[in-house]
Amino acid sequence: MPQQTNHDPRLAVEIAGVRFNNPVIGASGTFGYGLEFAELIDLNRLGGFATKGLSARPLPGNPPPRIVETHGGMLNAIGLQNIGARAFINEKLPLLRRYATRVIANVFGYSDDEYVEAITILNDGEGIAAYELNISCPNVKEGGIVIGNSPDAAAKLTEKAKRASTRPLIVKLSPNVTDVSLLARAIVEAGADCLSLINTIVGMSVDVNTRRPRLSYGTGGLSGPAIRPVAVRMVYEVAGAVDVPLIGIGGIASATDALEFIIAGATAVQIGTANYYDPTVTMRVLDGLSTYCQGHGVESVSTLVRSIITT
Amino acid sequence: MINTLATVESNREIAPGYRLLTVELKVDLTVRPGQFAMLKAHGSIEPLLRRALAVYHVYGPRRLSFLYQVLGRGTEALSQLEPEGAVEALLPLGNSWPVEGSPNQRAIVVAGGIGSASLLMLCEELAARHVDVQLFFGAASKDAAAGCGLEDFRTLAVPLAVTTDDGSLGERGFVTAPLERYLRSGGGAGATTYACGPWVMMRRVAEISAHFEVPCLVSLEAPMGCGFGVCVGCVVAVKTGGPIGYESYKRVCTDGSIFSAEAIRWEVNAMSH
Repeated sequence: MPQQTNHDPRLAVEIAGVRFNNPVIGASGTFGYGLEFAELIDLNRLGGFATKGLSARPLPGNPPPRIVETHGGMLNAIGLQNIGARAFINEKLPLLRRYATRVIANVFGYSDDEYVEAITILNDGEGIAAYELNISCPNVKEGGIVIGNSPDAAAKLTEKAKRASTRPLIVKLSPNVTDVSLLARAIVEAGADCLSLINTIVGMSVDVNTRRPRLSYGTGGLSGPAIRPVAVRMVYEVAGAVDVPLIGIGGIASATDALEFIIAGATAVQIGTANYYDPTVTMRVLDGLSTYCQGHGVESVSTLVRSIITT
Repeated sequence: MINTLATVESNREIAPGYRLLTVELKVDLTVRPGQFAMLKAHGSIEPLLRRALAVYHVYGPRRLSFLYQVLGRGTEALSQLEPEGAVEALLPLGNSWPVEGSPNQRAIVVAGGIGSASLLMLCEELAARHVDVQLFFGAASKDAAAGCGLEDFRTLAVPLAVTTDDGSLGERGFVTAPLERYLRSGGGAGATTYACGPWVMMRRVAEISAHFEVPCLVSLEAPMGCGFGVCVGCVVAVKTGGPIGYESYKRVCTDGSIFSAEAIRWEVNAMSH
């Protein structure tokens, strides 16, 4: 049984019928399978985390080099190396069930059928709170198309995934589109219970001595504080376009950063790259949110959602 | 593994471009030879990511040092640390050099450039266990050799062959040349090679060791995002005996940094170095 942890009741939020003790969630791809953090933070205090993208079968990922640091951020092209949905159920979930944190299974496939297959496998797993559909990873392509960049393709996949899923469905949006609201509306109309945004922004870095891209894949996804203003803007836009709850993601490294997203329209936030350079950042953000609520007389963090004043 | 704020005791230049950072921890810690830490000056914003540095020497349960070369933005930022300053540290990380420790064991240690930082504790451990050690120490120049801690290795009083690229100290050329001669003359019997240095050096040490049928261990380096296994950014391609699959890429941070040289697909990873 998960041990008892004192939670600040002001921080509790609900997303698609799932209660989170607080809105602080570890972002997919930066939080492993959660257990890697057990030595470093109190997982019972964490609102939740999204797993590394899980596919129906294990994936090797891209050849190195996979990461390169840039100013205020980093580029990655990991290529979704993961143990596969079945191994996650057998090897990770039994250990994760000891903790009170919400487990969001991030799901990936190379085709609609592979997404459905991964979800079908994961439906057997006990202790998964929701699925997050990774339709926006910029580092894997099949036939040159990223599903998440096309509203039609994204809606079609969302519909199939929703039908296959026994759990609430979060769809993670790509920022690499002309109109993120258009994409968001299409996905919500197709049945998504929640949207998370943003995934990484496609970028590139060149080694001027070798004249080669610094990443073996050529391009990579930009993350970290550098992308935060873009992400806040997109959350703000999408919050005005759809009625489902949003999870804000993009360069969050402090409670102030998290609050920007919440005030712009996010019900919860995911913290990604900052986990690399401060593995305890989620706890720091959590404490900072409590301090903010205390200082501003906020009885529930939910009342801050979309509380932005633009007049 | 702990995530902590360590206090800088000293951060002195020991040769141009090379520094020794000594820190004090708040808690007792056991560090094994070959392990490393992720470090960043506390409160600094740029660069974002911590840097992986091998633990060079342990003076006690709370006091240890890192020998490093100032090479880029990360180490440049670390070089600015002043005594009493705070450094964010995640440690100890990675596996460690396996030391059998029987008096019959023989060890060949090959240090190339600042790769020496990962090897001093190994040599100390081997010496303490009365293992017969032969050390090969290569650097770019006499100054660089000093910066890579040559004097500390000399105090171990083990057989030592020094090479420099420019011939300013010891034999002119690469450290692999005296290694090859040594193995050709039968020095590898019953020995294990332990190597850390530039990728091309380790690849050559691996080839030479394999040729003379001497088991070889290498400590690899890769750009790291986190150091504790979650970013999966620091992988190295390894042999699996089959097509590329999930087992084809191992994390340098948690599956290594020490690997059996024969497991590494040296040709695949070449472009990353």
